[in-house]
Amino acid sequence: MRTNKSLYVVLAVIVLAQGVLHGGFLQKFWGKNYSPGKSGVSAELSPDQIILQLFGFREFLAGILWVRADGFFDQGNYDAVLPIIRLCTILDPKQIDVYATGMWHIGYNFTDEDQRSDRRYVPSALALGKEGARQNPNTYEMFFETGWMWYHKIDDDYHQAVRWFQEAGKRQDILPARRNLLTQAYFRNGQVSEALDLYYNLLEAAEKRLKEDGQFGAHQQYATVENNLDTTLVRMVQRGWIAQHSPEGRAQNWYATGSYDTKPPFDVGFSAKATVLSDRVIRFEGTWNVLPIGTRVRVVLRDADYPRAKRAELDWDMTDSVSLDPPRNLTYMQDQLFVRNRRFNRKVDMSKDPTMYPFLAKKYIIEFYYNPRSAPPHIQDKFGYSGEGFTDSKFRNLEARPSVKFVPVGKDEKGNTTEWKLEPLTGLQQPVMYTSLEIDQDMVRRKGEWVDKTPVIKTANYREPAQGKEKEDIIMVPTLRAGANN
Amino acid sequence: MGAILSIASTTVGEAIRRRVLLIILMIGVLLLSIIPSLGVLSARSETSTMIGTMFAVLRGTSALIAIVLTVYMIPNEIERRTIYTILSKPVQRWQFLIGKYMGAVFSLGLMILLMSIVMIILFQIFQRPEPGKLLELARQSVLYFIEMCLLAAVAIFFSTFVTPLVNFFLSIGMWLVGTVLNPLYDSIQSNQGASPAMQMVAKFVTSILPNFANYDVKNPIINPGQQIQNETTYYLGTAGYGILYISILIIAGIIIFDRREV
Repeated sequence: MRTNKSLYVVLAVIVLAQGVLHGGFLQKFWGKNYSPGKSGVSAELSPDQIILQLFGFREFLAGILWVRADGFFDQGNYDAVLPIIRLCTILDPKQIDVYATGMWHIGYNFTDEDQRSDRRYVPSALALGKEGARQNPNTYEMFFETGWMWYHKIDDDYHQAVRWFQEAGKRQDILPARRNLLTQAYFRNGQVSEALDLYYNLLEAAEKRLKEDGQFGAHQQYATVENNLDTTLVRMVQRGWIAQHSPEGRAQNWYATGSYDTKPPFDVGFSAKATVLSDRVIRFEGTWNVLPIGTRVRVVLRDADYPRAKRAELDWDMTDSVSLDPPRNLTYMQDQLFVRNRRFNRKVDMSKDPTMYPFLAKKYIIEFYYNPRSAPPHIQDKFGYSGEGFTDSKFRNLEARPSVKFVPVGKDEKGNTTEWKLEPLTGLQQPVMYTSLEIDQDMVRRKGEWVDKTPVIKTANYREPAQGKEKEDIIMVPTLRAGANN
Repeated sequence: MGAILSIASTTVGEAIRRRVLLIILMIGVLLLSIIPSLGVLSARSETSTMIGTMFAVLRGTSALIAIVLTVYMIPNEIERRTIYTILSKPVQRWQFLIGKYMGAVFSLGLMILLMSIVMIILFQIFQRPEPGKLLELARQSVLYFIEMCLLAAVAIFFSTFVTPLVNFFLSIGMWLVGTVLNPLYDSIQSNQGASPAMQMVAKFVTSILPNFANYDVKNPIINPGQQIQNETTYYLGTAGYGILYISILIIAGIIIFDRREV
């Protein structure tokens, strides 16, 4: 056969046809439905790992690496675990365990000598959770884990926890008991009516499950939801929520005329003093007129110009990229000041961990913060769900935490929500206690004029405790019911 | 057609008798057999690791068989001068080439079928899945078969004008590049820093080179729960793509082989 010109024409037509078929349909379809993930192969893989990966042994390689990470974890070599976690998620973005464990590890396990978390890692931990949720949109797990990070670790900005738990609840594989947690996130975000509605839905579902399956788990879920619903209804009445927010209550002005536990608002009488005892060792003292023990006032010490800092926290949701290296030139310390006998007194020693607290900036801010929405139930019985029964004559603040919720605005073709917008919760404020003090590097490091002089900064209303009057080993057991500032 | 089938059946017979191919096949089956014991590598994703690794072994072994099988086909006939006996009969060069390719495809089909059966039996024994899962495994095996037919076409195309050793590395290189084309394209498209020119080049390159990644649809099998619309259309599309690309390579091979002095 001598080559025919028409063969070239046929060849050209087929080349064109395959190009159109591939570029126009196959590639897009494959990318959407069969791609193992958008992360790509990292340059961090060694040559042998790259070869294994190229030959399709991604899951196998991720498994080997994960076993190796487990070994490092047992040895306490936490720094070595981080890159392996990242590699595993790059190689096999469907390994939810790696995402969940990695997120927990990054968010919780890097601490100073006093077990204070290095919160500079938290944005990266969240970024890993977000990536895990994006890569595994069909299962609830990473949505729940990310919500838990907001709810438990960050314990603030509860609209974020609500959003993630809502998304987890939309997935069919969520465990029944895990749905319950959204109610608590609703409470903390001030969405009490939504929490009540959810309790009724959960009770209905639990009842149905109990009829179909009489196992212990079904009984337990039903009893838990029923008990929580009862308690919620009682609390909604006692805390004046129904009086303030039901149509009848508003129309007939029940809250103003009735007697509720949240009336009158309780003045917590906050005051604080910070004393720099030695280089990077600070004692925080102050007053908090709430007698029942258990209050924890948040203290933050950070660079005055820390990027994307907010009041008494960071913009935790600041990034979508996972960085294994926190900003080592920045200082951010966050701790809880435990209140007993209406005072707090805590020495914070940052001198042993210079990588966590480098103190390279010239100016710093010390912030004190308390959010009644984070309070335990027995305190909220007085303070109310959203701080209705809470006040501070000096430091009550309505701007620090706006009362908001996320509303879905965009969905992908599979019906998963991809975009949200923030909306204010109408008729609901979020009063918190917030104040800040300024301090400079010389004071914290006890340099310059502060070598022999003890730096002390305090709020204007701070009063020293009377000597010997309040012994720390005696805990007074009081009540807030009376509403008196005794 | 009779000449083509005759050459094809002779090629299958030769392939079955080649020890090197049988050794590769045996290694593949052995590797498949030890995979169930690797479940310890993953605490909760034992099934995922098992399926992923089994598919990787199946794909890797099949690719090696496809290349080793085809790189020697034409050069061996020329070297042993048996091609003169064949071409002196009423057999056209294009019939010879197509016959050889068909023989390679049949041989590949037999070997992939054997490995797939072993894989499915092992999976049934160790995981006891629902029948639907076994069908999914079989479906991926069929797609790998089409992929290997494409790879064999690449190797047979190169074998018309390069030596077997060069062909071996060329074909392996082409396969490796072809398997990462889609992920690479995805990365470039999703990278906001990539310039439009770079994205155009990526689109052009991925439209020209044979894309083996199209046949790798194991992710939804490994990670179930994903709802995929119009999956059958995609399978038909990939099969069509394979046929089109194989046609390109065979026609180009025929053109080159037709002009070659043997």
